[in-house]
Amino acid sequence: MQYLLLIYADEKLWARETGTDPSALQAITAAHMRLGAELSEAGALVGGNRLQPTDTATTIRNVGGAQSLHDGPYAETREQLAGYYLVEAPDLDAAIAWGKKIPGGPNYSIEVRPLHVL
Amino acid sequence: MSGWQAERVLEAAVREAGDRIRAALAIRFRDLDMAEEAFAFASLRAVETWTRDGPPRDPAAWLYSVGRRRAFDMGRRAKVRSEAVHDAPEPTPDPETIVMAAFEPIPDERLRLIFVCCHPAIAPEARIALTLRTLCGLSVERIARAWLTTEVAMLQRLTRAKRKIRESRIRFEIPEPDAWGERLGAVLATLEIAYAQAYEDAAGASDAADLAAETLRLSGLLAELLPQEPEVLGLAALIRFTEARRPARLDSAGAMIPLSEQDVGLWDPRLIGQAAELMRRAAALGRSGPYQLLAAIHATHAARIETGTTDWASVVALYDILLRVRPSAVAAVNRAVAVAEAQTAEAGLAALAAVDSRERLAGWLPYQAARAGLLARAGRAAEATEALRRALTLEPAPAERLFLAKRLGELGA
Repeated sequence: MQYLLLIYADEKLWARETGTDPSALQAITAAHMRLGAELSEAGALVGGNRLQPTDTATTIRNVGGAQSLHDGPYAETREQLAGYYLVEAPDLDAAIAWGKKIPGGPNYSIEVRPLHVL
Repeated sequence: MSGWQAERVLEAAVREAGDRIRAALAIRFRDLDMAEEAFAFASLRAVETWTRDGPPRDPAAWLYSVGRRRAFDMGRRAKVRSEAVHDAPEPTPDPETIVMAAFEPIPDERLRLIFVCCHPAIAPEARIALTLRTLCGLSVERIARAWLTTEVAMLQRLTRAKRKIRESRIRFEIPEPDAWGERLGAVLATLEIAYAQAYEDAAGASDAADLAAETLRLSGLLAELLPQEPEVLGLAALIRFTEARRPARLDSAGAMIPLSEQDVGLWDPRLIGQAAELMRRAAALGRSGPYQLLAAIHATHAARIETGTTDWASVVALYDILLRVRPSAVAAVNRAVAVAEAQTAEAGLAALAAVDSRERLAGWLPYQAARAGLLARAGRAAEATEALRRALTLEPAPAERLFLAKRLGELGA
């Protein structure tokens, strides 16, 4: 079964911290590379990426058959979707174990969502 | 055999082995709804069949066997979730196998089911409801009553939890060593919350008593299944100590009686004996923890049966350790009350003020109630009256409301 591990963090805080301390960004990037290698090794990696900040987002709204474009993310939230991993895991507990290994700054959250099975 | 007799045999079998049968079905088929329905089907079929043919030699094994067949048929028919891993392929059933199966022992999967129901990925308020429903077989209506919510709301909560277990595929296994601490912690916290809920309203007569009895039983079951876990034994002891005082907790008007004023003659010595034995076993394992410390505090109170007095200095010392291991506002307030008993009311008030300056507790009932008590003891009647009035606005449970009102009356207010 596949699980999407969504990484949420305060992107403004993140930009500030990595702006003042580039080594922090390097350390976390290296940690992501290690996790990616570990996931591949275990045959659990389906995909994963870091996303550009939400100020690059465009939202397409569909209302009553009409479409309109909106400059910005779907929802304004305190923490934003910053990246994801898509993993193959036998059960939720295994997916959570991977989610706990995802590196980041001091404060961030990982949402673990099972993919719908047809 | 009459239908009435068949029902009696069924009731006895369910009382004796219901948990075990429900757990075995749930774990085998990895589906809590299916297990529930299969068990209900087996119970219904039992009354029909036993009325006609007389009861089987082993009614519990009969129920498990029929329930298992039913679940298997349901699963085959639905063909949904065909990916779900079953423990073993079911052999093609023929009458012979059914008869033979009746003599197969029912596997004990109760612990696995408790771990599934109390999984940390499930909302805390749903965990105990799920445990009471799927393991203990309590009706949704009875669980809803204990939680002062509607049957519809409780059913939704249960349905959502079961759906999550199924769709997100929560593991139906005893946790691995690296997850053991977190998982066992979630189970213990679930039981603790359930018991606190049952304890909350002492006047809430049968509903709370029902829930307390079920929690008492569950904690005992857990202690039996995990005899090497000292905190499991500690929680089971804690619940027994507390439950032992139930007969002494209310006066004839239904008002709460504080622990220090309770008639120890009404405490249940059998439960206190069980609790002491559990604590002895926990201590022998040599790993202390918050539940054992709480149990030790209650044991110190229970000693009043023998000695006629309470060793408040020990109570304070135990709270000091507890606050280091598991800090909480409740423990800090209770410690302040113990300080008042061990030293003076003013010393207790000073300890209480220290807690408040850290935690801002003015709008919290246990704090105001404790403060009112200490102020009254210190002879500061006007302030005590004020604190009691404040406490009464903080929605105390009926028994506590009566108690606070009585105290207010005693102060001549």
